[in-house]
Amino acid sequence: MNWRRIWALTKKDLMEFTKSKYVLSAVIGIPLLFAILMPLGTILPIAKANPADFEGEGLGGFIDNLFSKTIDDWASLSMHTQTLIMLAYAMFIVVLMLPIIIPAVTASETIVGEKERKTMEAILASPITETEIVFAKIISSLIPSFFATFISAAGYIILIDIMLFPFLGYLLFPDFLSIIFVLVFGPMFSIISVELMIMISTKVKSVRDSYQIGSLVVLPLIMLIGAEMFSFFFNTVLTLIIGLAVMLVIIFILFKFATNIFNREKAITKMI
Amino acid sequence: MLAVEARGLTKDYDIKKDGQRAHLRAVDNLDLAINKSEIYSLLGPNGAGKTTTTRLLTSILQPSVGGAKILGYDIVEDASTVRSNVGLLTETPALYERLTVRQNLEFIARLYDIPKEDIKPRVEELVDLFDLSDKIDLPSGSLSKGMRQKVAIARAMIHDPPVIFLDEPTASLAPESAKIVREQIMKLSKLEARTFFICTHNLFEAERLSSRVGIINHGKLIAEGSPEQLRDLRKDETMTVFRFSVWDDVIQNFFQERHYEVLEIKPERKSISIFINDIEKETPTIIDELIKQNFPMFEVRHEYPTLERIYLDLVQSENLPRNQEEESS
Repeated sequence: MNWRRIWALTKKDLMEFTKSKYVLSAVIGIPLLFAILMPLGTILPIAKANPADFEGEGLGGFIDNLFSKTIDDWASLSMHTQTLIMLAYAMFIVVLMLPIIIPAVTASETIVGEKERKTMEAILASPITETEIVFAKIISSLIPSFFATFISAAGYIILIDIMLFPFLGYLLFPDFLSIIFVLVFGPMFSIISVELMIMISTKVKSVRDSYQIGSLVVLPLIMLIGAEMFSFFFNTVLTLIIGLAVMLVIIFILFKFATNIFNREKAITKMI
Repeated sequence: MLAVEARGLTKDYDIKKDGQRAHLRAVDNLDLAINKSEIYSLLGPNGAGKTTTTRLLTSILQPSVGGAKILGYDIVEDASTVRSNVGLLTETPALYERLTVRQNLEFIARLYDIPKEDIKPRVEELVDLFDLSDKIDLPSGSLSKGMRQKVAIARAMIHDPPVIFLDEPTASLAPESAKIVREQIMKLSKLEARTFFICTHNLFEAERLSSRVGIINHGKLIAEGSPEQLRDLRKDETMTVFRFSVWDDVIQNFFQERHYEVLEIKPERKSISIFINDIEKETPTIIDELIKQNFPMFEVRHEYPTLERIYLDLVQSENLPRNQEEESS
């Protein structure tokens, strides 16, 4: 692999993203909505509500069982605080959807966009290999996604801590779960999403088709990240190891698929 | 060693036609032998197979049958070396419109592994050459169609390739820009031994630039040779034109008595021309006689069949049997 060529293509894509209003609005707008506005709209009203309104039968055995594994003093917390913590984690799944959703925009733009604008032919005529092209496209699609995920997760964590500190007396985030999901699982889901989008992009002719198919493909991934996080509560170490191993295998297999599917012949004939 | 050599080069596509799978032969058993520093033009109507031929020879597509070599490198086995040695101007300029001219050229330069320190001077050299210095930091999307075409040509030449493929190089250029491009092609071919493979509809350009011309139709090379050799294919269609300031029956009788085949008598505003079929050798004698008889003749010229006429004849005669077959089926 020629890293100079890979970086040249990645850099070019990133320069194009910074000049594309559509990509910029997706990379800035979606995190703003998911990480700031949605938590503010759901958690803040409950934080401001009267705690007495929340007293009653309790959240239920299953939820108590779930959170008592992660929150040490769960049983001693008031119903109001428990509700806030539950919502904070629930909304965190929404933040973790970002590494799946953003690549749907960037990867579509970077491969199908090139085909649609017929700029791909000049790249295909150069000595860059198919694997280098796929690798560069994965990196350039991932960078905005990582950037948006890390910034929005940081924003979300700060926001939640500001809202929940008065009730808990300590900072809820970052905890082990949030660190693992933001720094490990999030990027891995992002890579899977990019690889799937690149596979879709090599098959379709327009950015619109790519978005439409891509939006269907990200749904199972979103469910998967929710399930992964959910199961994490029950068996931390085993889930972590199995989850990482499975995802690494998926990433490798999809990369092989993506590089096999993407070849000059198909890339150019899909332009005809 | 030949710059471009193709033997039985064939490319088939599987396409969908009327909802059913069909087979399309875009390039059919093409043989080419192009020498170094030669300018070769491939002429043909839309869909004749010009662009597919270019994509095969630049190792973007792989042949279905047959093969080709560029500077001795096989287009399949040594694809990466072939790509490093060729430059390609695509059918449409297809630049990154949000990026500046400089960014467009620097990006392609990096893909060709040009050393970092050489990129800036090379970009500036090409930008100067195509008179784009004042546009270098403008987004390429803000440029006119002609300027974008010049940037695309500069892009094809950024790595100084020995073999350059140009698909319609002057199609959208103003006459003065087209002239610059033609001059550069001639200069690079003569002084730096660059080989050019030009796909064009512009017969005038092909005739002026090329040492040889190939005519392709339905993927097949139907004629090939220097513009003179191609004209010789229709040598019998050479005409001699006599132009007179006034016309009378005596002049007409003069030609008829000598049994010359009068093809056309064409009255113009202040003159009249008579077109006679192929009398090149006898022309001096006729001129003598016309002068002796004081005919008001003021111009005599030979009209050779143009490349355009030869091209149209060849393409139409190729299309005719095929169309008839299609109609009958």
